Amino acid sequence: MGWEAVYLQQVINGLSLGAMYALLALGFTLVYGILELINFAHFNVFMISSFIGMMALELFGLSGQTHVLTGLPLAGVMIFAFIATMLGAGVIGVVIERFALRPLRGIPGTVGMITTIGVSYILFNIVLLTEGAGSFNFPNPMPRVSWPIGGATLELRELLIWGVALVLMVALHLFVNKTRLGKAMRATAQDSEAARMMGVDVDRVIVMAFFLGSALAGAAALIFGLYYNYTSFIIGYTAGLRAFTAAVLGGIGSVTGAMVGGIIIGLIEALGGQLIAVRWTDVIIFSILVLVLVFAPTGLMGRANPTKS
Amino acid sequence: MLSRRALIAQLPVVGLAGSYAIRAFAADKTVTIGINLPFTGADAHDAQLIKEGAMLAFDDANAKGGAGGYKINVMQLDDGTATAGQYDPAQAATNARKMVADDSVVAAIGPQMSGSGKAMAPILSQGNLATITPSSTNPDITDPKFASTYMPAGKAIYFRTVTTDAFQGPNMANYMADTLKIKSVYILDDSGAYGVGLANAYEAQAKKRGINVMGHDQLDPKEADYTTILTKIKSMNPDALYYGGVAQAGVKVVKQSYDIMPKMIRAGGDGVYGAEILKGGGFPAAEGLYATIAAPDLLANPDAESFIKAFAAKYGEQPENYSITAYDAALVIIDAIERIAKSGKPVDRNSMRDAIQDSHAKTLQGAVSFDKNGDITSRVVSVFQITHDPKFPDDDVLHQYKYIGVAPATA
Repeated sequence: MGWEAVYLQQVINGLSLGAMYALLALGFTLVYGILELINFAHFNVFMISSFIGMMALELFGLSGQTHVLTGLPLAGVMIFAFIATMLGAGVIGVVIERFALRPLRGIPGTVGMITTIGVSYILFNIVLLTEGAGSFNFPNPMPRVSWPIGGATLELRELLIWGVALVLMVALHLFVNKTRLGKAMRATAQDSEAARMMGVDVDRVIVMAFFLGSALAGAAALIFGLYYNYTSFIIGYTAGLRAFTAAVLGGIGSVTGAMVGGIIIGLIEALGGQLIAVRWTDVIIFSILVLVLVFAPTGLMGRANPTKS
Repeated sequence: MLSRRALIAQLPVVGLAGSYAIRAFAADKTVTIGINLPFTGADAHDAQLIKEGAMLAFDDANAKGGAGGYKINVMQLDDGTATAGQYDPAQAATNARKMVADDSVVAAIGPQMSGSGKAMAPILSQGNLATITPSSTNPDITDPKFASTYMPAGKAIYFRTVTTDAFQGPNMANYMADTLKIKSVYILDDSGAYGVGLANAYEAQAKKRGINVMGHDQLDPKEADYTTILTKIKSMNPDALYYGGVAQAGVKVVKQSYDIMPKMIRAGGDGVYGAEILKGGGFPAAEGLYATIAAPDLLANPDAESFIKAFAAKYGEQPENYSITAYDAALVIIDAIERIAKSGKPVDRNSMRDAIQDSHAKTLQGAVSFDKNGDITSRVVSVFQITHDPKFPDDDVLHQYKYIGVAPATA
């Protein structure tokens, strides 16, 4: 491999990682935008969703990477798995909002955030106790197809990640900007009290934000499983922290910012590992988090919130 | 002649006194052995297989009326935590204190992992509590150079029924140079005490043997994505990839290295020998992986056959080599108790430590004896290769790891 090919390959790797982080970062941003709450349970909604995805695939008798499907059956299984995982994840998000966070609504300070940390541990331990602590071989029915591009290889699963991420992000963008409910969300994000006075059902908007954010985490989790053919009860932690960094980098609360931030973090991770050493990856990424928080707290695309001091 | 029990049954008055005496006698004749292994986290399955190996020996001894008349109780401790996702040295230190604080604990088995061993050894040394590890191989813990750190009280308390990475890493480097004829290698480790030590020992010997070490990088075991470093390795095109570390990162290295460079020779130490690698790595990703263990291939030993049968019958799965080294560790402890009981001395930590130090216990790997630092005197490193045998379950260590031979010691 020439150096151009290596860098091309790392960009491909980085974009795949970035797409995953972006989907995950959207969940942080949607909830933060509306409630000003950092939802740490999101880490493990992602993790638990990968198990939902695994079970959905296992419904078809798939296990490991040896059962390969093509054509319509593959498309059918994939669509089913995505819908099942995203719905499952969305429902978990809604349940968390309803039972853990709604009773605390209106209490100022960090109570909500700390509650989400607690919920995160509950989810974590549910999986630990029911599924055990091992690493799971995530089923993947996709054939191993790849195309050489200038010395690098582009695999089918990478195209799938980019495709799914792109479709979901465009859909989210349209939803937030073009629909009534999206408008209600933006209104609530700007000033929930005024929105309520204008007849917006704020509770419904909040439920929607949790549902959408968690469903996107579900999509990210299924992509994660299909990409690495692996899942375990600990995957939420690192991916969640990186995605959170991506959300802050892009400007927490900004939907486009989360997408851009995710891609940037993915690329930094891949190219940083190539240029320096992977042992420094976390140092680089979290240094960026600190620098952003110090020098540009609103991130690349965030806006200072006019209603809050 | 009437047996004592029958006599008691017939003479209620004597019986009362007698049963009291028996109970008092029984209470005196109990010892507790601590077992500390990571039952939570990525190595949980292997920890279970190790524990079962030891329990088989203790249960046998108890069924025969105890070791030298002493019934053996087990205090089981878990040094794996959910936050670490694998062994956690802080938890291991807590567990060591727990064992030391309980006077009935006279010896221990474990830990599985060297990272835990480093945390536990100083505490066990202060408490004069001997432990026998069936699998932790980092040489520092028993190295006299670091005695002030790991055995501050002066006497060896960290015994092993396996040899150390001072042999495991270098011998594998010799094997890869001599038999696999590799000219270049890239080394990865998992940032843990065991992984770093093994990878460094391997690297030093690989360089001595003229293998071109193209790089040595460290992985974060909680990270899911290693495609970056593996892509970098692919671009350098070494003959082989050597991984020092345990299953948490190992599973992902196995999977992703197969995706990125399916033909690469991949090797590791005893951290990639076990059920977790087979189960989490899966086939075809795990196929062809070389692994070593810091002990002879005990499962091929004809003496081991009855052990394997008993193990499979009792626990419903196949043992692995470190189930046997754990069984051997338990035999060393049982033998020590028996010798102390015979000599009439009290079975306490002091006498146990000395008896283990002087052990010549007959075990499945032959007579086990330790040098003055606690290391086993036998120094065999065995090489295995994963070769898929579809007739057996995918995570059956005994049948999916094929024994290749002994890795040559450095002359």
